[in-house]
Amino acid sequence: MSREVPIVMPRSPLARSRAMLAALLLAAAPPLAAQAPPLDVPLAFVGEATGAAHQGAEQGLAEAQLQGEFLGQRYRLDAAPEEAIAIVAALPAAELQALAAAHPNVPVLNVAADDDALRDHCRANLFHVLPSARMAADALAQWHKAHPEAHGVVARAWHPAFEKYAASQLNKRYTEQFKQPMDDRAWAGWAAVKLVSDTVAREQAASAEVLLDALRNRLAFDGQKGIDMSFRSDGQLRQPLLLVAGEQIVGEAPVRGVVDIEDLDSLGPARCSAP
Amino acid sequence: MLRFIPGRLRPLVAAAALLASSLAAAETHVFVTNEMGDDVSVIDIASAKVVATIPVGKRPRGIGIAPDGSEIYVAVSGENAIAVIDPKSLKVLRKFDSGPDPETFAVHPNGNLYISNEEHAKASVYNPKTGELVTEIKVGLEPEGVAISPDGSRGIVTSESTNMLHLFTIPEHKIISNILVGARPRAAAFSADGKLAYATSEISGEVKKVDVASGKIVGKMPLADDKAKPKDILPSRDGSRLFVAGGRANRVFVLDEKTLEILHEIPVGNRVWGLALSADGKRLYTTDGASDQVSIIDTDANEVVKTVPVGKMPWGIVLQ
Repeated sequence: MSREVPIVMPRSPLARSRAMLAALLLAAAPPLAAQAPPLDVPLAFVGEATGAAHQGAEQGLAEAQLQGEFLGQRYRLDAAPEEAIAIVAALPAAELQALAAAHPNVPVLNVAADDDALRDHCRANLFHVLPSARMAADALAQWHKAHPEAHGVVARAWHPAFEKYAASQLNKRYTEQFKQPMDDRAWAGWAAVKLVSDTVAREQAASAEVLLDALRNRLAFDGQKGIDMSFRSDGQLRQPLLLVAGEQIVGEAPVRGVVDIEDLDSLGPARCSAP
Repeated sequence: MLRFIPGRLRPLVAAAALLASSLAAAETHVFVTNEMGDDVSVIDIASAKVVATIPVGKRPRGIGIAPDGSEIYVAVSGENAIAVIDPKSLKVLRKFDSGPDPETFAVHPNGNLYISNEEHAKASVYNPKTGELVTEIKVGLEPEGVAISPDGSRGIVTSESTNMLHLFTIPEHKIISNILVGARPRAAAFSADGKLAYATSEISGEVKKVDVASGKIVGKMPLADDKAKPKDILPSRDGSRLFVAGGRANRVFVLDEKTLEILHEIPVGNRVWGLALSADGKRLYTTDGASDQVSIIDTDANEVVKTVPVGKMPWGIVLQ
């Protein structure tokens, strides 16, 4: 299109109405977005890109994006680990260790490995969103204390039939999006992105350093399990577990009557046990 | 009207009219939604007894009253509808579609309902007379609490999963502030002059005070009890105190409005969620969800004077 410069208003009626429409759209844009360009928040995902953990992380990303629209952040999950302020990792233990060692100043969030040994290393930048095997064992031990007759019960981080504490809303959102029930790894992937985005919004900073400090020291995360969660000194996320028999949720741990139901440190080692 | 009354009777008639209007202002009944009972309990205040139970449909939660007192509205969450109850006949007059999963709502002085649709990230505004959708407001995830300023010029919707208070103007329905608060904000309320707003966060267990003009948080107070999962919040009629339903703490907290310090803790039933205050400010009514009862609190003595058994899992409460 050729036109003289400067032209304030296009001459043709169609172009003019388009320009006016553009101006109207600009005027109607959310005030925060209009004031400043959104803060770019690069996150990386390492691991199987088709698995439940990745889908969960994508669900978390969609929810982070909605919050970011109001508060002025724009999240990406496809950043390279080198440029990311946080890395969500669905990897076996050995690869996870190597990844955390390669990026010592970036929070790495484990969403797929439950190995106790990983927690015992107490690496400063490695955070475990998925519960450890030891936490699951403690949850079962508590349950059996209260219900000695119970057989076939397993401890899970999440369950698609979980409804309390707005869990049903999260399950519904996930199932609508992916046509699959939300399992433990999907929840962990969701939670990893959500706790990062909650922290970025609170700190108003997209920085690995700020994030590392805030995750270690200031987290009070609502993971839709009815209680605020934080990381232990060994990097493990304190959280309630669900006790499931067959396809039925039969209870929650910490188990009422056995321990204080708010004592999340009754599941797994309470702190870093490294020498 | 007094013009047509013979002169000597005028003072008497005027006195009667005054009496009638003061009677109209004083409440006679409490309406309570029973989330698991699918009905509404009606309590007669004078006898402190349930005098009627109205079936309304699946999972009733939020409840409100028309500005002129002529209709009671109930969010029937399980049916995506608002039920309209006639407070005289105690019958459901009609139901209208309210968008998906209405949880709670506030009634605007102009009569419109501002409804949070928990499963969709929006609030919708309905005219309850016609059942028409007036507009929708895009908010964060799991919108929950709704409040309208007394003059009707401002509104707040809380989004539980996005941890925000969305403050918007009315009638433009333009969001002017998105205020990040503690995890899982549940309920909000405005001060009588509309200059301040108060909100509870369930998971972080705290109360926040917001300056409406600037959209800034000007006060915050943790409830000091880690079992407290606060829900409803209301200022006292004189504005000097705040009442907070403590949820799992099984207590109502009375806070100093200025300092947000806890002045009193009033033990009530289990899982106290809903609050309603009498017009004279002397009585506070609570829904104690897990105790299937309503507690009536004397706000001068700061103690429960009566408990009334209602339906299953009482949630919302309004006075008529």
